[in-house]
Amino acid sequence: MDDKFDCIIVGGGIAGLSAAMELAKNDMKFLLIERGEFAGAKNVSGGVLWGTDLARLVPEYWTEDPDEAGWERFVNHRRLTFMDDQSAFSFDFKSDHFDAQPYKGLVVLRSKFDRWLADKVQEAIDQSEVAMESFLATNILVDKVLKDENGKVNGIKAGEEEFFADSVIIAEGVNNLLTRQVGLQDEYVPADHVMTGVKEVIRMDRETIDERFQLDGLSGMSNEFLGYATDGVEGGGFLYTNRASLSVGLVLGLKDLREKVKKPYDILNKFKEHPAIADMIRGGEVVEYSAHVVSSGDMRVMPEEIYADGVMIAGEAANLLMNAGKAIQGMDYAMRSGILAAETVMEAKEAGDFSKQQMKTYRDKLEESYVLKDMRGFQGAVQTLHQPEMVDEIPDLVCDFGRKFFTVDDSPTPKARKMFSEAVSKNSSWWNLMRLSLKAAKNL
Amino acid sequence: MPEKKSLQEKLGTINYRNQAKSDIKAHISVDTDICNSTCPHQCTTYVCPADCYKIDENGKVYFQVEDCIECGTCLYACDQGAVSWEFPDPEEGRGVNWNYG
Ligand SMILES: Cc1cc2nc3c(=O)[nH]c(=O)nc-3n(C[C@H](O)[C@H](O)[C@H](O)COP(=O)(O)OP(=O)(O)OC[C@H]3O[C@@H](n4cnc5c(N)ncnc54)[C@H](O)[C@@H]3O)c2cc1C
Repeated sequence: MDDKFDCIIVGGGIAGLSAAMELAKNDMKFLLIERGEFAGAKNVSGGVLWGTDLARLVPEYWTEDPDEAGWERFVNHRRLTFMDDQSAFSFDFKSDHFDAQPYKGLVVLRSKFDRWLADKVQEAIDQSEVAMESFLATNILVDKVLKDENGKVNGIKAGEEEFFADSVIIAEGVNNLLTRQVGLQDEYVPADHVMTGVKEVIRMDRETIDERFQLDGLSGMSNEFLGYATDGVEGGGFLYTNRASLSVGLVLGLKDLREKVKKPYDILNKFKEHPAIADMIRGGEVVEYSAHVVSSGDMRVMPEEIYADGVMIAGEAANLLMNAGKAIQGMDYAMRSGILAAETVMEAKEAGDFSKQQMKTYRDKLEESYVLKDMRGFQGAVQTLHQPEMVDEIPDLVCDFGRKFFTVDDSPTPKARKMFSEAVSKNSSWWNLMRLSLKAAKNL
Repeated sequence: MPEKKSLQEKLGTINYRNQAKSDIKAHISVDTDICNSTCPHQCTTYVCPADCYKIDENGKVYFQVEDCIECGTCLYACDQGAVSWEFPDPEEGRGVNWNYG
């Protein structure tokens, strides 16, 4: 047995496991190293896995016994809510078109999902032609990425041990220390490049969830929140239904949090006390509090390059993420980029060339995929969302209008136009609204 | 409404590695001399979601690694060069083991 791998993957999160699955299915020899006790042990997301790439990695995963499955519920009910201190005005969309398989959104809990996906990868390894030569190793921290005398990446170091490969995929997540070490990103990444996510998993009977949210056991709801949710800090809130728990949390712009001198869990507590949230989580029990940094999804913060001689950066380590208000897409981007990095390894092996020129194929594939097309296409929308107006003025205006529009009392009802006009002048200005809508029209 | 939990109780829901081990190797080191002399904001004392950065009775910042959940917040929040950040060693360090994630 040749002791060199075709590929070493650093990180058993979604990007790393997706790359591994593609490599295993194509009989490649690889080593995946994860620092957690098991895949998923270190990972936090909201989280909805959007898109359909999972069906490519694990065909017909929905035919599996739901009790064995790694996912919680499929999303068939989406809601975007604007909040002020008392009210919540939602855009609500439910459709049985979402019931069709493959599902287009799956609510997941990472400790369970990543472990399940890792089991599937192991099965694929076991069925491959090189079953005894590819490995998923956990509980090992990669300290260093190694380079040969020409500066080409050729392996990794973990503790005292070194492992060598033709290529390395760095799929280490947003806290990308190795990406910085190989020189693809600055050593210090400033606070305005990221957001801090805080979350609670709140246990609740499956039947209660089904009744409270009008779901049927496997169908689920995703709800995003703008406005009061973040207490004046740039960002948004979320509430997702798991099988027998709810995931409730916030993502908060870190620079803004620092400037406004606020504690993330205080804002989370306040969010949970808002009547709209309090009614949804009533009777539940907090079974886990968690936090994790998440990229802002602003393209200006991407590493200088996402490949070099012998190495590719996949998933959130490359800052691949979309957060344009109606959802966060980090997991599907991680999945797709992992798949594309693996394809590039296979093509490089075929060509017998792991140089920078060859690795560039990875970048080209990403540019052609929805990942970079969307990130480029919606940059303006991402930046609009991070405008200060989006945390107070606009949600306040929407709620103020809603309150007027839906209130019936004993005074004559003004025309909706007049109500809207009043809401605008109270909370914002026509000029501001015009400016924002022009921006939105251009970007959406 | 679920019963209101203090941060300490919230942190109590978290499963940590090497929970019983007393001599754990800290994966973050903080040059608190910087925090306590030139830093204009001491922001880690409020942005850290696990309250690992505390202020003692003399108003001085100090760091305690035990509750750290490796979220990364201080790695970006500190713009004064006081925080050196690594991932915990799987054997010698602490760090989280999420039950849900
Ligand atoms: C609060 C919150 C809510 C979110 N909501 C959503 C959502 O609803 N939908 C969505 O799509 N995305 C969401 N995201 C973003 C999403 O979680 C990430 O984009 C996604 O997890 C990125 O996947 P990844 O595989 O690139 O990295 P990760 O999932 O972070 O995986 C990286 C892996 O590498 C391992 N690792 C790191 N360094 C080393 C090393 N040196 N040696 C060995 N192993 C190492 C880690 O332990 C980890 O397992 C959310 C994030 C947060 C924080």
